[in-house]
Amino acid sequence: MENTRNSFYLAARNALSVINPLRVFVLRGVQRPGIMVEENESTVAIGVPDVFVLRWTALSIDEEHALPLAQQVCEIHYWTEGTSTSGGMDRGRLLAAMDEELTQFLTARNAAKQNYAASPPTALATRLFWSAASFGPIMTSKNRLSRVAKVTVYSYEEAAEA
Amino acid sequence: MSTSGTVSAIASTGPMTRRVRVYFAPVNRTNEIPTIFDASLAANFQTSNPPSPWLDLGWIDNFVRKSDGTVSAVSSGVPSLAQYQVRQASGATVSFSFEQWSKLTMALSGGAEHMNVLVPTPGAAANGSGGAAGTAQAIVFNGATSTSATVLALSAADLASYTAGSVVTVDVDYAGQTGFVGAGVSAAYIKSASSVANDPDYIRRVSFNVARVQQVTAQALVLAQPLLAGVPVTGMKVQPLTGFVDREGGSFLQEWSALFVMSGEQGDAVFFHYPRLQSMAGPAELTSTLQKPIERVMLSAAFRALPVIDVVDGQSVFCFRTYVPGPFTTV
Repeated sequence: MENTRNSFYLAARNALSVINPLRVFVLRGVQRPGIMVEENESTVAIGVPDVFVLRWTALSIDEEHALPLAQQVCEIHYWTEGTSTSGGMDRGRLLAAMDEELTQFLTARNAAKQNYAASPPTALATRLFWSAASFGPIMTSKNRLSRVAKVTVYSYEEAAEA
Repeated sequence: MSTSGTVSAIASTGPMTRRVRVYFAPVNRTNEIPTIFDASLAANFQTSNPPSPWLDLGWIDNFVRKSDGTVSAVSSGVPSLAQYQVRQASGATVSFSFEQWSKLTMALSGGAEHMNVLVPTPGAAANGSGGAAGTAQAIVFNGATSTSATVLALSAADLASYTAGSVVTVDVDYAGQTGFVGAGVSAAYIKSASSVANDPDYIRRVSFNVARVQQVTAQALVLAQPLLAGVPVTGMKVQPLTGFVDREGGSFLQEWSALFVMSGEQGDAVFFHYPRLQSMAGPAELTSTLQKPIERVMLSAAFRALPVIDVVDGQSVFCFRTYVPGPFTTV
């Protein structure tokens, strides 16, 4: 499952860096594309605005196939307060831009599965694939607008991963 | 439970099963000899390691078997009273859907000749099942590397046509023979040389002797799976292919021996053995929605059973159903 999660993140990150190269943030002194995986970062890092945060939640495995088919739900959290130069009044437009970017970085629909625990990463035999995003409602808290989108990511569990 | 050599039997609970696994084996079409599954093997049958020549084709869905047999009453008197019964007709059909797509499952689903799409020669005219193929490569039988069911020795020049991941078909040239053709499995029936345009690659087009190349060494192709027909014989050649084609139409009917296994939760099992199944439907698919719009596509298959003679009593039989009880149930 970890190979799937890492591969999904890398596919999304690489796509986002092309779609909007300006969506970046600095973490531990390093500038990165504006997307991170919650479980891979310190709790302080995930409070960054204008960044996509991936949170893995539900898991189910259908074993009644030649290869077990894993379904993992990835919640993508993001929020914005707008820009200070606009007094935050552009927060709706910025959230809409993130909605659009999220839709775009998921359009590939599938990606090669790789084992990123190896150095260099090794290619596995199958590809992961995912559903379209299901967008939750905009949540408003003071001047903060946030949303959670859900994606179901499917992958075959290969014998080489066991 | 068992203690000190005694068994405390419980009432038979009946099979509880989750799914059906299917195994197919070739029928010798020339002599009409099916592969017979001996019921005495059922008790020790390993679903993940079936005995040769049974081929594991994985889990299936929508398994439905029907008896087409009819029993009629013979009546006499006024009013008419049933006096005895006669078996008026016998027959059986079976249908299901394959979860796995492969050369063999496609062929069984399609029912007719199943074609390997050979890599075409440059400039070949377009054709629905693939155009004129490039040159086949001869297998080296007396070189430093031995050819086997998983290793195909080729000349260095011929090896240049392949890379790891290539898919190959391995069979003899067509040289005017008629009748059933195909290494290991009767893949087609040739009426005359002209009916197949005297194509030297025709047998490799329909052959079930296919495999994926795992590695290309300096002397040979190492296959990821053993060839269905086993060790290649003199005269066989190798050709790369790009995929598979089945067709709505065609005159050939696939015939195979089949074994369906339901493994029970209590260590019991039910086996359905059809020694002769012939396709009775053309290519069709069935889908199940994973999550809209993602759908799983399965291959639909339908067969009519043909009879064999049970040598025990000379009866014509379409299907053998074997039940292996759980270890501690009354029978």
